[in-house]
Amino acid sequence: MTSDRKTTVLILDDEPIVCKRLKPALEKAGYEVESFTRSREAMHRLTERSFDVAITDLKMDGLDGMAFLTEVKKRYPETEVIVITGFATMETARESYQKGVFDFVAKPFKLGEILDVVKKAETKREALLKN
Amino acid sequence: MLHRLIRFIQSIRGYFQQRHSQEPEYPFSKLFKKFQNILASNNEALELIADMGDKLSGDYVFDKQYILSTYEQLKNHIFRLVLDLNTLSPGKYVHLFEVFEEINDTIQQALSGKWVLPQGDFAILYSALGQDMYELVGSKNANLADIRNILDLPTPDGFAITTSAFRAYIERNGLGDYLVQAMSLWDPDDAAACEEIASEIQAHFLSGSFPPEMTRQVETAIDAVRSRKSGDTPCFAVRSSAWGEDSIHSFAGQYQSFLNVPANQLLDSYRKVLASAYASGVLAYRHEKGFQIHELAMSAGCQRMVNAAVSGVIYTLDALSGETDTLLITAAWGLGAPVVDGSVQTDRFKVNRTPPHIIKSVTAARKTTMMALEAAGGTKTVPVPDACQQEPCLTPAQVQKLAETALLIERYFKRPQDIEWAIDTEGEMVVLQARPLYIHTPPGRTADHVARAMSDHAILLNHQGVVAQRGVVAGKVFVVTSDDDLQNVPTGAILVARYTSPRLARVMRRIQGVLTDVGSPMGHMATIAREFRVPAIVNTGVATRVLKTGDGITLDASQNIVYSGLIPELCYDEITSEDVFEESYEYRLLRRILRNISPLNLIDPHDQNFKPSGCQTVHDIIRFVHEKAVQHLIHLGDTRTTKADATSKRLKFAIPLGLIVIDIGGGIQAGNVMSRDITPEDIASTPMKAFLKGLTAPGMWSTEPMSVDFGSFMSSLTRTFSAASESARYMNRNLAVVSAEYLDLNLRLGYHFNIIDAYVSEKPNDNYAYFRFLGGVTDVTRRSRRARFIGEVLERFNFRVEIRGDLVVGRIKKLEKDAMIEKITMIGCLVAYTRQLDVQMNSDDDIHQHVSDFFKGVCIHDIGSENNGFNPG
Repeated sequence: MTSDRKTTVLILDDEPIVCKRLKPALEKAGYEVESFTRSREAMHRLTERSFDVAITDLKMDGLDGMAFLTEVKKRYPETEVIVITGFATMETARESYQKGVFDFVAKPFKLGEILDVVKKAETKREALLKN
Repeated sequence: MLHRLIRFIQSIRGYFQQRHSQEPEYPFSKLFKKFQNILASNNEALELIADMGDKLSGDYVFDKQYILSTYEQLKNHIFRLVLDLNTLSPGKYVHLFEVFEEINDTIQQALSGKWVLPQGDFAILYSALGQDMYELVGSKNANLADIRNILDLPTPDGFAITTSAFRAYIERNGLGDYLVQAMSLWDPDDAAACEEIASEIQAHFLSGSFPPEMTRQVETAIDAVRSRKSGDTPCFAVRSSAWGEDSIHSFAGQYQSFLNVPANQLLDSYRKVLASAYASGVLAYRHEKGFQIHELAMSAGCQRMVNAAVSGVIYTLDALSGETDTLLITAAWGLGAPVVDGSVQTDRFKVNRTPPHIIKSVTAARKTTMMALEAAGGTKTVPVPDACQQEPCLTPAQVQKLAETALLIERYFKRPQDIEWAIDTEGEMVVLQARPLYIHTPPGRTADHVARAMSDHAILLNHQGVVAQRGVVAGKVFVVTSDDDLQNVPTGAILVARYTSPRLARVMRRIQGVLTDVGSPMGHMATIAREFRVPAIVNTGVATRVLKTGDGITLDASQNIVYSGLIPELCYDEITSEDVFEESYEYRLLRRILRNISPLNLIDPHDQNFKPSGCQTVHDIIRFVHEKAVQHLIHLGDTRTTKADATSKRLKFAIPLGLIVIDIGGGIQAGNVMSRDITPEDIASTPMKAFLKGLTAPGMWSTEPMSVDFGSFMSSLTRTFSAASESARYMNRNLAVVSAEYLDLNLRLGYHFNIIDAYVSEKPNDNYAYFRFLGGVTDVTRRSRRARFIGEVLERFNFRVEIRGDLVVGRIKKLEKDAMIEKITMIGCLVAYTRQLDVQMNSDDDIHQHVSDFFKGVCIHDIGSENNGFNPG
């Protein structure tokens, strides 16, 4: 991190285990993290503040990750969105990228992989902010 | 869903039984297609199983969806395997559907989240308890069994009375319905009524009778305990071990325990332990937490009473002081119960958690009374002799031994521990109980704090290997270069080795972590590291070069990073974090279903248990189907029942391979149509010619010490089986299916089983070679050396290599025709060379010697020259 302010990350996944494992790993890497298992709560949080990076599942019980990421990008176009999903199809991947998703990570993934992707998203943001 | 599956299976079974009587007329090419499907499903299924096992390392984030969908895929492959085998030999293995149905049923139940308690014996000795038996014996018993059976630490002899016994007791005494009815009147606001309900329930429990089988099993267990130690009849400590106790919802301490119970009163005490689970306080707690009354499953631990001179409790982390590097021991003379309930003065020893565990402070109290055993059973309180009252009750050596033992237990359970221990009158230390100590990270010790601590330390390795078991440890490096070094490994060292030798298993219990240059997370050593939960990163490539004996490092196998220096903050953060992967539901679910999936019980096809009913796991079914499919195809070729679209011939060869060659198009020279036998010159199949060339390359086949000729070598092996058994007929029967460009070879040489599947044509894009080697017979160390040798050779020839235990798979594809031919010739050499290897694999150094010998050998034959990409290593 180049500035004093920590990079902020939002995690949304309806499987608690994903939040439970990602949150401490990202915190340990120096990020400020909030995690949600319900999209309603995550959506509500977006009305209160922005995040630098958002990590979201696509297919969750009773909610649509695509709708969530659409909302994030609409509200905060500069937020980098990383999609994590166990059901990656060409179609969802294409749609996600069209909506401006930063990267697409297939579940299950290694902690190191997701940390790398978040790091890259962070670097990209920093580069954009400088310009 | 399940019913649909069963109906489907039944209809299929009917179909096959019908078909059996009609003997279908499949053309050979169709049958061969089925066979190829079997091979493909076989490989994919094995890969899925390995993949699931790999997820237990903790390096992956996976969710329940992963477990569900991966098992779904696996199930489909198995279903297809069973189906294809029954098409290949109609009706012969219909029973396999039922076997699979049963295994699948067990797995589906676990996946559906129904924790159906396993049926099991009523009483099980601690020495006979396996891992993962929490549901049957409760956490306390299961932990103690791990401490005894895996960590090899002294614990009291004894046995568990299981949750199965509890259920039988409930059933026999009609308590199930009664409980539901009684609890329907529970009103938390009416304390007096609650009291009344509770005491009525307890009275019911105390007046019940035991199923005779249960009494018998408990008596047998008592006899076993008695017979293992000469002397008087043992007395027991009878403690509760409920399922779910000691977990997040801590029921610990709410149930009653009974000390020094004579054998003939043991069942009475057991009944009282059961009743204590229905005391009003416990019922209120459970009610408040939303537990259903039928969710309670009690087990009890019956431990031989230890005549303790000193007892106490260890907190591996001093939770109250907030000192992150301190372990706290409290101790008093006599039995430990008063220490636990706080009714006596205790000595306190603060010890540094880092070896050599320096004692930071000793606070000796004035101890006036102690608890002692009453000769007739039960306990009594007696005065402490004057001379001992002010004396610390532990020597510095005892304090250190306790600290070492406690941290070993903590490392295994990956949580700070609350451990009860005793030292008996003969001076032997015994672990009585261990449970997790839940510590809330004090404010100020946030992730920030850890991140800052880490930033002061240089990173030595960063994602340079593969995590075989996650976890964080800090300690001193010990580099192992030979087997002799293993004897000198200090306790608590972080072991660094070139290879993932299974020999390292010998010291796994004493070490904190492992790093290797070479190795697979699916190998034998990785499995052992996971069993002991020792953090391990394998295949770093450079560990032995970067690290030296004595270096202080922090191995973070959760993030796959190695830091220079000790970072206790990171270790502390790891063991106190809420995220203990091994405790997560998903981890336990995956482990649970893998128990029914990955163990391989069917190994020797000549074993009388090698039949559908002998299949206990998914892996067994895979193995069975594959073996039978190969046999069936051999049989087809052998009995000339092949149809007009294929030719089957016997290969006459310098080496008696017993090879049946089935030609599905252009694989054998047209010519001598009438003859049953062919010679190598008649082979026209490009990959087959290449393979035979390698197999017979001079210097590859017969070298010392197997100076006997191959024929007698084979026959000596055959003699070990009953000559009359049908399987013996096939000992020398091997199978190759060929076409002009194709080879599928299933070759058993002794106990080595080789599969080569290759396609070689003028179009590089279509070309591939697949080589699979599975050995057996010899001890696991030699097997793994052999696997490493083969893996190393294949890798140097640029194959993509996977090693799992003693299974080696090598793949290569899309090379020019000439290069493919050389690769396949090399495989021929390798098959010939490996046949005599087991005998010679005496040490790890032999691997390098053999790799080098092998290369000298192949170079003579002009294989492995620079132009085909041979990489001399």
